[in-house]
Amino acid sequence: MNPRTRQVLEFVLDNLVWFMLVFVLVVFSIFVPNYFQLGIFANIIEASSVLGVMSIGLALVIIAGHMDLSVESVAALSAMAVGILFCSAGIGLGIQLHPGWLMVPVSLLIALIVGGIIGALNGYLVVRLKMSAFIITLASYIWVRGLVLVISGGRSAQDLAPAIRWFGIQRLLGLPLTAWIAISCFVVFSLIMAKTPFGRHLVMIGGNETATFRAGIRVNRNLVIAFILAGAIAGLAGWLLAIRTSGATANLGVGLLFNAFAAVVIGGVSLKGGVGTLPGVYAGVLLLSAINTAINLMGLPANFTQVIHGLLVLAAVLLDAFKQTIRQRLA
Amino acid sequence: MSDPLLVLDNVTKNYGAIEALKGISFSIGKGEVVALLGDNGAGKSTLVKIIAGGLEPTSGRMLFEGKEFLARSPAEAKAAGIETVYQDLSLCTNVDVVANFFMGREITKKVLGVPVLDERAMEQVVQKALASAGTRIPSLRTNVEHLSGGQRQAIELNRFVHFGGKLVLLDEPFAALGVEQTRRGLDMIRQVASQGIGVVIITHIMQQAFQVADRIVVIRQGVVAGDVARNKTSPDAVINMITGETLAGAGPAG
Repeated sequence: MNPRTRQVLEFVLDNLVWFMLVFVLVVFSIFVPNYFQLGIFANIIEASSVLGVMSIGLALVIIAGHMDLSVESVAALSAMAVGILFCSAGIGLGIQLHPGWLMVPVSLLIALIVGGIIGALNGYLVVRLKMSAFIITLASYIWVRGLVLVISGGRSAQDLAPAIRWFGIQRLLGLPLTAWIAISCFVVFSLIMAKTPFGRHLVMIGGNETATFRAGIRVNRNLVIAFILAGAIAGLAGWLLAIRTSGATANLGVGLLFNAFAAVVIGGVSLKGGVGTLPGVYAGVLLLSAINTAINLMGLPANFTQVIHGLLVLAAVLLDAFKQTIRQRLA
Repeated sequence: MSDPLLVLDNVTKNYGAIEALKGISFSIGKGEVVALLGDNGAGKSTLVKIIAGGLEPTSGRMLFEGKEFLARSPAEAKAAGIETVYQDLSLCTNVDVVANFFMGREITKKVLGVPVLDERAMEQVVQKALASAGTRIPSLRTNVEHLSGGQRQAIELNRFVHFGGKLVLLDEPFAALGVEQTRRGLDMIRQVASQGIGVVIITHIMQQAFQVADRIVVIRQGVVAGDVARNKTSPDAVINMITGETLAGAGPAG
């Protein structure tokens, strides 16, 4: 094999999910009536913003060789906190701040802090007690959702303050600001992962924790930061979720975790850690969203989505194994 | 002998009831190469880990450059100027050669106040370091998983030569190297020592120890069984110390 074909092949393998996304979009545009519209594409991006943001945090922790199952519940808790404080109907307290725009940074900060605290707790337990992140965050997944039920009493908060909801309504270039927030998160965290020592260290920790420890990298510190980031990002996802639904219900976001997993795996992140990039994850998120949109447009019962997502995850894992074999041939 | 760089004074390590190190005392001078020999399980690797900050000793003390020294983590040992090359597990195969070379001390530049990896500067340094050591690696941007065992060890050896520090610990560094590369590796060690850096090398191969070391320290069952200058001993005598046929300082048996 000459070096050129090899380079091309490596490039295709590295960006496989983007090719899949383009392929899927082209196929749907040809075969699904009304699919090929700017509005539809905008909708695909818009519908994926909450899932996208949540997937970033999950991907960070998985790339570092660990796991965070709690992101979905954390998002729900943050959304509920914002909902209770700033909604005017249901269980909402309807707190007003003057001037009104002040509610935006305050609510955002609350969502981030709630998420960050739970992330810090997860990280501390994983690093200090050296317990499996899977178990620790599974516990968080359960108790944090329980906490949402407790503080809401199973009821919901509606009518989020208009100043906050403005982010979901105001559009820029055809996309609501919430979608732009998701996109900028991907840009910022992609840069952090690819260009900064912190990102490089996370990837290396995921690849070989012993080696990074021996090389003098503060593994525990980096891991705790990764968990805090995952929690805070989940908090941001919860904030977006509250804006999107203009409030919060006790079962808000149920099932998002599995979609986030699907997106992360489809996006080329290895569950073994150390492999994967955030742009790939974004492509995975968009791919899921594109398929959902197609299902809606074709008028299939929504129940099919879950079957298709499951098969997609399976396909992604098989594809990953296949990619590994090709790479070994290349080497 | 020159000034002692590192002095170990009665260092012990227990794992529960098991005494891995029963009290090790020896010293390493600046620019001196000490070969640490001993049978499997004698406690050589434990000792290296204690000096390198991977393990804490149960008791005893260490003096580094005349000052009390105890590294609680590899980061602390590194900060003090102690470099370690392990026989296994010290490369991240999921990233490229440059990233591995600079693991933990990446060159950065500030962009808007944020430290950003300076890939070009790092790549140039690695290029130069590997070229001067005569190591050929096709592309510095390939992930280490695609490299051979010899190439991997070459990265590690060049890493310690480049960063130097004050004391270098090598735990069986030549296990995966060919004849020519091993010879070059031994040259590297002499070259590093000539800059005044202390070197401790663990090896199983007597010939290597006699080629490179100024002094040979033998550990048997957690104690120092022999500490002799290379030119005052012979491979046979050292083998006797390792296997326990000769007690330290007791002179040749029979």
